[in-house]
Amino acid sequence: MKVLLRLLDKVRPTFEDGGRLHLLHPAFEAIEHFLFSPSQTTITAPHVRDPLDLKRFMSMAIISLVPCILAGLYFYGLRFIAIIVVSYAAGLTVELIFAIARKEGINEGFFVTGILFPLIMPPAVPLWMVALGVAFGVFIGKEIFGGTGRNLFNPALVGRCFLALAYPAQMSGSWLAPATELGGRVLKYVDGSNLDAVTTATPLALAKQGEFVSTAHMFVGNVAGSIGETSAIAILAGGIFLLMTRVGSWRTVVSTLASFAVLAAILRHAQPDRFGPVLWHLCAGGLLFGAFFMTTDPVTGPVTNTGKWLYGAVIGATTVLIRNFTGYVEGVTFAILLGNIVAPILDEAVFAVRLRRLRSEG
Amino acid sequence: MKDSNPAACSACATKGLCGGKGLVTLKDGVWTVNPLAIQMLGICSALAVTSRLESSLVMGAALIFVCVGSNLFVSLLRQYTPHRIRMIAEVAIIATFVILFDQFLKAFYWDMSKQLGPYVGLIITNCIVMGRAEAFALQNPPVLSIVDGLANGLGYAGGLAIIGLARELLGTGKIFGHTVLLEQWYTPNQLMILAPGAFFTLGVVIAVFNALRGPQDEEENK
Repeated sequence: MKVLLRLLDKVRPTFEDGGRLHLLHPAFEAIEHFLFSPSQTTITAPHVRDPLDLKRFMSMAIISLVPCILAGLYFYGLRFIAIIVVSYAAGLTVELIFAIARKEGINEGFFVTGILFPLIMPPAVPLWMVALGVAFGVFIGKEIFGGTGRNLFNPALVGRCFLALAYPAQMSGSWLAPATELGGRVLKYVDGSNLDAVTTATPLALAKQGEFVSTAHMFVGNVAGSIGETSAIAILAGGIFLLMTRVGSWRTVVSTLASFAVLAAILRHAQPDRFGPVLWHLCAGGLLFGAFFMTTDPVTGPVTNTGKWLYGAVIGATTVLIRNFTGYVEGVTFAILLGNIVAPILDEAVFAVRLRRLRSEG
Repeated sequence: MKDSNPAACSACATKGLCGGKGLVTLKDGVWTVNPLAIQMLGICSALAVTSRLESSLVMGAALIFVCVGSNLFVSLLRQYTPHRIRMIAEVAIIATFVILFDQFLKAFYWDMSKQLGPYVGLIITNCIVMGRAEAFALQNPPVLSIVDGLANGLGYAGGLAIIGLARELLGTGKIFGHTVLLEQWYTPNQLMILAPGAFFTLGVVIAVFNALRGPQDEEENK
């Protein structure tokens, strides 16, 4: 955060009156306000009070998703843009209905969900399913619990879980092979309908048949999967930014990945011919994306630091178990939703233990 | 319901159904204190048998039959039942009617009986039937008790029918097994026929019901 602030302060004079680029001042201001709360206060009404800084929080999350968005655009092309547009349109409609019914303004909460949801969709998913899923996620996952900040579950994951259970055939048959040509599909619209791209199985599905895609391919992103989860490099770039700005908690991420790796290593050690290598599993599927961008959701995760360690451990361990021992090839969605359920209980337990210790001390 | 007492029976013969109490009782059971949506009773079977409209209707019919029959007999015997063993007496009466219905299904609608499985037998433990016997039939004359049993049975059956209709239609695109929503433009939502679909539908039904009914005494919702 400090680096960004210093950078903005440094280039500010260029955009002020008399500066070389003062014509572009509105753009500079928009970026500045997107990143930080404005330092000037209004003299007359309306006075803006902004104690929570929710908007900046959300902006950081969106910026950290940029590498994944670019990777998705590169690998899957214009169709990804269409999915994003549908996601925002449908989700905002639900938000708007509730905002009118509650006589409140629309708040920023949806902006992150609206981009997270397309990133966890299969690239060839029908657009009406995107609309239905995101509407369900926002309605059932968030609004009926009271709106932004009060939701028990991550709305994007609720939406995906809903689609995965309601339309299993379409959801598991909508994986496209990512672009292999130089320049990607940035200007192409492909949905697999007219043989413009091959539908294919994800690495985890192939692994169930004993076929392992190379880890290097998964690291770069040259494999089928949800739009945002294919490229491990992009996820790491955005995720580390998210942790550096402290918008996401590093404890949760480290705990999730570490517990996953430990348990996967034990399984691998026990039966090397049945379970995949640890590094391979870490790069496969939605684990990295989920660990960096879903478990770090401040609303649905625990508040206490001890709670965060435990929370990550629950998610990491559950993911390994679902992946390796059930009919589902991918378990991150279910694991994080289960983690969401136990998060408040973990906090309660941590508080209870701490209170008891305080009481016994004095 | 507290104001209804055995003395009301004298009015039965003169004006209307039980001196106008019948209509109030009927409205209570079906709408004001609907067993499913307001009292939240019988949720277990409402979730278990409603994946298809047909089974929901049969289940609703079973509950109407059992509730009317048990209410009638509990009410008839209310003067002779020792207070301390009244629960056992009620269960015996309820079980009789449940077994009657179960045997009827087995004899004439074997497929349906198999489909409903244990849930017909489980009506014995259904809170609605027991609750009506305990809370209403023990204090009220037979005819009014029949009305109450019918009202609550209808209230429950109505709720089940709505849930069953929604789940079968959205989950398979069919009603009574006949395709209504063509597969060309409707993709069946398989979640609706799974257990979570029942929870979501029931939740929506309860929310809509409460919204239509408007805010009343908050104690009921507790």
